[in-house]
Amino acid sequence: MNPQELEHVMTELQKYPSALTGAYETARIAVEGSLGPVNTVRWSEDGIRIARQTPRSWEVASEYYRASPRVLQAIGYPQFQRWVEAGIDLCGESPTVAASYFRASPAVLPHIQARQIATWANLGRSLSRGTWKSSSLASRFFETGTELYSTLSFREVELFVHLVESLSARSYDLAAECLHLGQRVLPTIDEREELISLANALVDNSWREVRGTFEAAARISASVERKLRPRYYALTERLARAGMQNVSSFILETTQSLGQLDAQYHPFALQHAEDLVEASAEAVGAFLKSAPAVLQRISLQQMEAWYGEGLKVLKENVDGGVAYFRVESSRAEAVLDQLSSTVEFEKVKPLLTVYANAMAGTEVELQGASAEMHRNHGWVAVESASTDGMHIYLPTIVDRHPTKDENFAWLKVVSTHQTGHLELGSFAFAYDRPSMLFEDLRPQVAAQRGEAVAGNTEMSHFFNMFPTRELASDIFSVVEDARIDFGLTNKYRGLRPDYLKVQANSLSARQDIRELPVRAAMVELLIRLSLHQLKEVPVPSRFVAEARAIAAHLRRVQHPDAIVEDAAEATIRIYAIISRLPNEQVPPEDWENQDFDEDTPQEEEATDQVLQQFQAGGEGPEDDGYESPEGVDYRGEFKPELVQMLGRMRGQGGAEEDQQQAMQEISQEMLEELLRESDMDIDDDMDVSAMANSMMKEVAANQQPKTKGQGYSDIEHQDEEGGSLEPVTPRSYVYHEWDFRANDYRPRWCIVQEKQALTGERKFFTDTLQTYSGLMEQIRRQFEAIRPEMYRKVKHLPEGEDIDFDAGLEAVTDIRNKRTPDERLYWRRNKAERDVGVVFLLDMSASTAEAVDEARKDGPDGDVPSDPVAYTMWLRTRRGDPSARRTYKRIIDVEKESMVLLMNALEMIGDRYGVYGFSGFGRENVEFYVIKELQEQLTDRVKRRLDKVAPLHATRMGPAIRHAASKLEKLDAKTKFLFVVSDGRPQDRGYSREGVEKEYAVQDTRMALLEARAKDITPFALTVDRNGHDYLRTMAGDMGYEVLPDIMDLPRRLPALYRRLTV
Amino acid sequence: MAETNQSYRSQHIEEYVVHQQPFYLPVKDEVQLFEAAYRERVPILLKGPTGSGKTRFVEFMSWRLGQDLGAQKRLSKAGFPLVTVACHEDLTASDLVGRYLLEVEGTRWIDGPLTRAVKHGGICYLDEVVEARKDTTVLIHPLADHRRLLHIEKLGEVLEAHPNFLLVISYNPGYQSALKDLKHSTRQRFVAVEFDFPPRELEGPIIEHEAGVDRETASSLALLGEKIRNLRGHGLQEGVSTRLLIYAGKMIVQGIAPRRACQVAVVWGLTDDHETQRSVNEVVTSIFP
Repeated sequence: MNPQELEHVMTELQKYPSALTGAYETARIAVEGSLGPVNTVRWSEDGIRIARQTPRSWEVASEYYRASPRVLQAIGYPQFQRWVEAGIDLCGESPTVAASYFRASPAVLPHIQARQIATWANLGRSLSRGTWKSSSLASRFFETGTELYSTLSFREVELFVHLVESLSARSYDLAAECLHLGQRVLPTIDEREELISLANALVDNSWREVRGTFEAAARISASVERKLRPRYYALTERLARAGMQNVSSFILETTQSLGQLDAQYHPFALQHAEDLVEASAEAVGAFLKSAPAVLQRISLQQMEAWYGEGLKVLKENVDGGVAYFRVESSRAEAVLDQLSSTVEFEKVKPLLTVYANAMAGTEVELQGASAEMHRNHGWVAVESASTDGMHIYLPTIVDRHPTKDENFAWLKVVSTHQTGHLELGSFAFAYDRPSMLFEDLRPQVAAQRGEAVAGNTEMSHFFNMFPTRELASDIFSVVEDARIDFGLTNKYRGLRPDYLKVQANSLSARQDIRELPVRAAMVELLIRLSLHQLKEVPVPSRFVAEARAIAAHLRRVQHPDAIVEDAAEATIRIYAIISRLPNEQVPPEDWENQDFDEDTPQEEEATDQVLQQFQAGGEGPEDDGYESPEGVDYRGEFKPELVQMLGRMRGQGGAEEDQQQAMQEISQEMLEELLRESDMDIDDDMDVSAMANSMMKEVAANQQPKTKGQGYSDIEHQDEEGGSLEPVTPRSYVYHEWDFRANDYRPRWCIVQEKQALTGERKFFTDTLQTYSGLMEQIRRQFEAIRPEMYRKVKHLPEGEDIDFDAGLEAVTDIRNKRTPDERLYWRRNKAERDVGVVFLLDMSASTAEAVDEARKDGPDGDVPSDPVAYTMWLRTRRGDPSARRTYKRIIDVEKESMVLLMNALEMIGDRYGVYGFSGFGRENVEFYVIKELQEQLTDRVKRRLDKVAPLHATRMGPAIRHAASKLEKLDAKTKFLFVVSDGRPQDRGYSREGVEKEYAVQDTRMALLEARAKDITPFALTVDRNGHDYLRTMAGDMGYEVLPDIMDLPRRLPALYRRLTV
Repeated sequence: MAETNQSYRSQHIEEYVVHQQPFYLPVKDEVQLFEAAYRERVPILLKGPTGSGKTRFVEFMSWRLGQDLGAQKRLSKAGFPLVTVACHEDLTASDLVGRYLLEVEGTRWIDGPLTRAVKHGGICYLDEVVEARKDTTVLIHPLADHRRLLHIEKLGEVLEAHPNFLLVISYNPGYQSALKDLKHSTRQRFVAVEFDFPPRELEGPIIEHEAGVDRETASSLALLGEKIRNLRGHGLQEGVSTRLLIYAGKMIVQGIAPRRACQVAVVWGLTDDHETQRSVNEVVTSIFP
């Protein structure tokens, strides 16, 4: 470059801020060498060309100069010129973008090929649309180039930029964010094209989801197997194109469930998910989400069948299919249950409860031996059967065998063993009762022990005799279990094959006896003998005689006449043998196999020898760490001391004991003492006093009268979101709900809380009668007219009390005239005894707070807001300010007044009736207020309750009707009625699925009414909503309904209606 | 006219006499009680669930008393009849006493079963008496106290009971509603003998005899009976009757597999509730292989 040319360039450059000159000077020195003089001039002038383009493009020019040396190093000359031209073009459009371009180039160019420079620049340019935001987006693109190009292929970047570009048409902010995310996310995953393609699919329908989808991509990589990922993306894309809205949450949820699924199941799950796309996008998500839970219960092959069934449902009815795949329909549950080989305790609980009660002969309740129970009681071991005399705890899940029948058989054997303890009197042990088959050694042993050994219970008294309590208790358990097993298999021949199978399985799972020290080995021997291992039992060679003696004692107890005291006597003898033995390990070569099946008569051991082991003061032969062998699985836990103690606390301690006193005389201290001295496995997290405390509470709770009803027992259960519910508190009942779109019940969907209505003033009742005295007089006359109809004389009967004289005369005349007489000559008093039961259900929804004269202005038809805040507001406006004095009459007041009149009338004719109110908010909380129970008399209290009936929340009619019907069902009456008095359509939060249509609520109510009818109850719906015709026809059309145009007619109409219906 | 070959036997109500000794195993002292009451002609009320042997007991006692009376030569030629009336909702007083029947030339009176028993002496057994209409009590009361009179209103007659006559009624306190309780005025004219299902040790031999099954099957059936009776109040209103157990035994004798026999004779007869049926069935499968 000659000075003249330089001079010219410098003059031009000096027109701009000096920073430009500086940048130029520095760069020129670096580039001159490689460019050569001619090109350096061109290079310099290009810069000036850039600077000239716009007032601020000198900045671009300085970026250009600054970048040049490094760019030149990267790409060489001819391409360099192309780079410059692209930049100049960019600058024409946006200086900012061009500046970014130049600035980013040194870093980016090494990653792309020279021929792609123009395309790269054009990518950036495509993002820029002349606005400030678009320019900044384009700049961002150039600036992040290194990150993108260093990992992504050029094509991938191209695709990505196209995506960003189309996003930018929706939102620049989102596009920018996506650009940022892409740069972060794309390098980390392999399925870039797939992800971009998926995102592209979203741009049209749900572009807001793009960001979430990018964020979720990492989850896909983490939980979906690599080979299957492209398929997963393709599936998601198909769904997105099919219009699925919440793609990102779909990804989050399905990847989570796939993550829970073993990788070998992924192809299966995906394959079936793909097959569902055509039918319903929603079903795909539902299926993938429930797959892990379903596969936990059934095998892959069975899942195929379950899926096939679901597909059938889906084809008939999309909503039904979706509910099916969510496992939110009864059918899905039923099919699953049918396929599953697992036996769930909860499912067979009613069945086994009745069975256990039959077998035990005493009142028992069944409960799952779950972790929950374990925490509450301490003594109920998790998943192990046990009984406390009133409850039987059973494992909650049985999954030991490949078929359901085998699993159930196992559970049946387990329950029978527990009922066996009750049936065959394990807990009836009495210290002083003589045994049937042994010479009783207990008195002699007690004399030998000398010191006082009495205990809190008969059982403790017995155990206290032994120097080593733990050993004695172990021996007693095995011997008593063996007695029970024998008794049961002897008595129940049908159960015997299953029982023997369970015993054999249990035997095969036992540890090697040779690993145990001698004493434990002897107890283990006892266990094996009790499980019928009679051949080739390893026994220490030194103690064969002892082993044989033990076996002989055990065999005596395996006798139909043996009672628990025999087990105790055998325990004394076996204890005497085992406690004599040194508790040492026996080397493997010192064992020999013995057969115990031949019945060698064993002579009774000398009593002295037995007694020796109970020498006073001989605190057990040196306590050398005896440890119990593991228990027998199907026998569960056997806790005779505890059961006797609990029995005493409950006042079952025998006839001679006064119950009240029994309860009082056992203090918590005594319990703790018992717990400490008996070697019960108490959890670490549960100290003795806490456990004793919980037992005291448990017993106290059991003493109170229980409220039981239809529905399900009160098991403690956490509510799962969107799933079935369990009643937790007393007087709560769970009911199904009808989903008309799925054409199936949603199992255990609603909880009805029964509550006693508050009591108010009696004045309301009497005042109403006063006010309506005229009407009441009319009603009374009408109702009194019902009575005489009860004893009508019925004539013209073929047989009866006596001949009807008129008919007789006629017949005689006929005979005389040679005509065939009518044979129906008799009359009879027909005792049409009135036997009516009726339940009135009053709508206590918020809308009944409307003033009656305004009731018609805004129909009580408004939607209940589902948002709690909005709901409260809505409520408040409807209820009005509670503090303000009410001067107007509300719908509910008229309802109540009508009830007063009718109740008064009903008292005259003696029909049995119940009055209930209902309201609630949400399916977990359907409130059911008892104003008058069916059995209750019209007491003062009832009258006062009526006063307090007030508008509350929403109207979920279905569950309330179901609950009322279940009450009526229990009533023994010939004719039963169910009157629903409401002011509008049923409505509640979530009572219309997705909160859109009211149809759901109406259909559920209809189904509830139909169910009532199936129980021989005549339902009748009465509403004061003038728009009632349209939905009541659906709801109760073929049953019976009436719409009252004027609420003020209610007091007159209700009794009249009742009379018409029931006479 | 040629004699028609009759394959059935029909006789007048008052001629029905129990000649063969019915099989009956006394559970408690009911035989002595009945005999004592009969000697004093005190009417008897048998209380107990259906199928617990009330009817069989009456037959047995009728036979036994007939034997005694015959030995004492205190019987007419006809013997000691047993008149049984199963009461139902529509049973009226005239159904018991008698009524006029219409004939071509007027009417003819015909005695009802109660009248016949009163006339001829013997036991009149009103089974499930609470089921009958209330007007029957008017008849029962004078007959059941010291008067021993039957008023035949329509004839304008009062009938004095035959010295051998005894009124026996039965009543199942279990399943009727409160409406169908026996009135106290009626109740207090009878000595009440309580019946319940026999204990297992006794029921076994009964089943063995009645059904003709072997001892083991019989005792298994008795065990089944005991277990099912534990369920009174657990979905079952009534325990299984001895009668049903005997039927099950008879089915077994005819070659039906025991489990199946119990299912048809016991389980399905007991309840219509599916869940309870399954539970009871589990008991059956536990007992019978």
